Amino acid sequence: MGKTCPKRKIVGTISFSSGRGRTTSTLRLFFLLAPALIIISLLFGGGLVLGFFQALGYLPGKELDQIGLQHFAHVLQDPDFFNSLGISLYISITSTLIAAAVSVMLALALMRWAANNRAMHFILQIPLTAPHLVIGIAALFLLSPSGLFSRLFSQLGILTSSSHFPLLVNDRLSIGILSVYIWKEIPFITFMLLAVLKNMGSELDEVGATLNGSKPQRFMYITLPIIAPSLGGACLIVFAFTFGAFEVPYLLGRTYPMALPVWAYKNYSDIDLLARPEGIAIGMLLAGIIILTIVFSQLLLQLNRNRRFNL
Amino acid sequence: MSKVNTFAKHTACLLTFLCLSIFSSLAFTQEVLTWDDAVKNSRGQTVDWYMWGGSPAVNKYVNGFLASELKKQYGIILRQVPVKDIAEVVSKLVVEKQAGKESGGSVDLMWINGENFRTCRQKQLLYGPFADKLPNRQYVDTANPTVKNDFGTPVEDMESPWGSAQVVMIYDSARTPHPPRTIATLMDWIKNHPGRFTYPAPPNFTGSVFIRHIFYDTAGSVDKWQGNYTEKEFEQAANRTYSKLKELKSSLWRQGSTYPESPVRMNSLFADGEIDFSFSYQQSSASRNILDGLFPDTVRTFVFDQGTIANTHFVAIPANAKDKAAAMVVANFLLSPEAQLEKAKPEIWGDFPAISTTKLPGEWRQRFETLPRGVATLSDHVLQSHQLPEPQSKILVSLEKGWEKHVLKGR
Repeated sequence: MGKTCPKRKIVGTISFSSGRGRTTSTLRLFFLLAPALIIISLLFGGGLVLGFFQALGYLPGKELDQIGLQHFAHVLQDPDFFNSLGISLYISITSTLIAAAVSVMLALALMRWAANNRAMHFILQIPLTAPHLVIGIAALFLLSPSGLFSRLFSQLGILTSSSHFPLLVNDRLSIGILSVYIWKEIPFITFMLLAVLKNMGSELDEVGATLNGSKPQRFMYITLPIIAPSLGGACLIVFAFTFGAFEVPYLLGRTYPMALPVWAYKNYSDIDLLARPEGIAIGMLLAGIIILTIVFSQLLLQLNRNRRFNL
Repeated sequence: MSKVNTFAKHTACLLTFLCLSIFSSLAFTQEVLTWDDAVKNSRGQTVDWYMWGGSPAVNKYVNGFLASELKKQYGIILRQVPVKDIAEVVSKLVVEKQAGKESGGSVDLMWINGENFRTCRQKQLLYGPFADKLPNRQYVDTANPTVKNDFGTPVEDMESPWGSAQVVMIYDSARTPHPPRTIATLMDWIKNHPGRFTYPAPPNFTGSVFIRHIFYDTAGSVDKWQGNYTEKEFEQAANRTYSKLKELKSSLWRQGSTYPESPVRMNSLFADGEIDFSFSYQQSSASRNILDGLFPDTVRTFVFDQGTIANTHFVAIPANAKDKAAAMVVANFLLSPEAQLEKAKPEIWGDFPAISTTKLPGEWRQRFETLPRGVATLSDHVLQSHQLPEPQSKILVSLEKGWEKHVLKGR
């Protein structure tokens, strides 16, 4: 197996292999991506740099001697930081994993039974267009103790009174937040997977079948490795988003302990202007954690690829 | 004994006089225009009014009615400069002062109160005292503590009132025919009706003002917190407030394990029948909610017998403003009965007047009294006779922090 894979040759200029046999020089690639890169680095990079300065305590018109890392230190020393970090990690990891598992099953089922069913695809696209904020408020109306479901169930006699309805919003286990994220992210991951699955065709699977591979075996050794890069990428996006998003935990979370983005916002909007750098410091930490996650997962992927190439 | 007393009195008088003269020599370093000069110089000037621009109703009132009337009556061009937060303008003024820009500044007038006003006064960024030069000031009840002090900062005519807001309790007369009228009886009511009351979590503005009512009631005084207190006194009163609120926690909605994040959410809990009270820092919001169909029309409001907290919002002129004369004329026009009446109309803005209707001539008083108000809104007289001032903003901040630490986190 290893012999058939060519070792990557690095001669002269560094080349990026995109697909089989197609190579693009770094310079050309840079020019192609320049418009997008410039906008991203200007808007996001600029925002990050400005934010970083404010997190250091810089305000226009303020003396420079008060600038330093004390706001970061203060945030990190607060016992609430780890509480909030824990909640944010719990929310984003749980929702990403559940959404990913459901999406894999859904994508496979769609490929099998409804590959060309336009109505089905249209329905799946609806959640993509609805903003998180809208879904958060909808969840509030549906799931709260005086919400639609609670009233419906007590009306139908399933519950003796609406006060027996389980606590699904502002609750301990963040069920409300998780359900919004899972509902929103499933179609996103599913579409990412469908794009790969459609290109994959059925040949490989058929080869697997002729080699007597059972269904689980074919999934494990054929389908999963093929969808893994997009699945990983999609999961990373979902993780990064749910980890940094503010509106859903703000609406559906408990007052305390709160998710990191909510804590950041609270500090930022504090009447005490001195709390503002701390809010931004939390935001910077959020961004840092997400960037680290992305770099780390890319490293893992790279390592994995190199290992396979060097076999 | 009496000799000692007189001596003490004399010394006190002397000291006060000394303090006052020192203070006034500091504050009155700049010449303030007389009203006649202001009117004379104002014609043709353009007033750049920096203000929070987040309310379409306010913007319409400013750019429509005010701008056209000022143009017509005084030949002044009013230009609204909407900002997200007036604190941005304050820090701009700080920078300008540091840079030595003492005249020709771009800000002629700003809509301001509370913490921002305190910063302006501390850093001496304001022009004045000018408010006492305005003829329409005769309609303002200057004895009202919410006009005299702005979140504990003495106003001393460095800003001129424009409007005000007051806390009202909201209840449904069909559900709760006899609501508790004092804070003490409200506390008892909450304990006797577990799960039927809550408040937005401070630092939400509405939740925070509820805490201050409990604080006033627990401390047993109001005026003291305008500045005449010791740190120790505050700490004691604050700690008693926290333990009262902690004790209340188990009787709150969801046993106080979570709080509504905003008054909007509290209103929907109230409308859904999950809780029996709501409250608002805007005296006419209940009527508006009835009109919008969010509340049943049996909803009413009340103020506590001991009063509810109110605050006034003001306009101030920066010391380096380019068009001070016209800014004074605008500040005066804002206080005119016609401008205040227009502002008070529910369909225009519905803001509470800064002038006292009892000081108005009969005809104008009539027009204010016959102003259509919602069924749930109390009369100006009832509201104005039950106003408590906001405490110093320092107290406000430390109560919010203390609530979070002791009541929310239970440390």
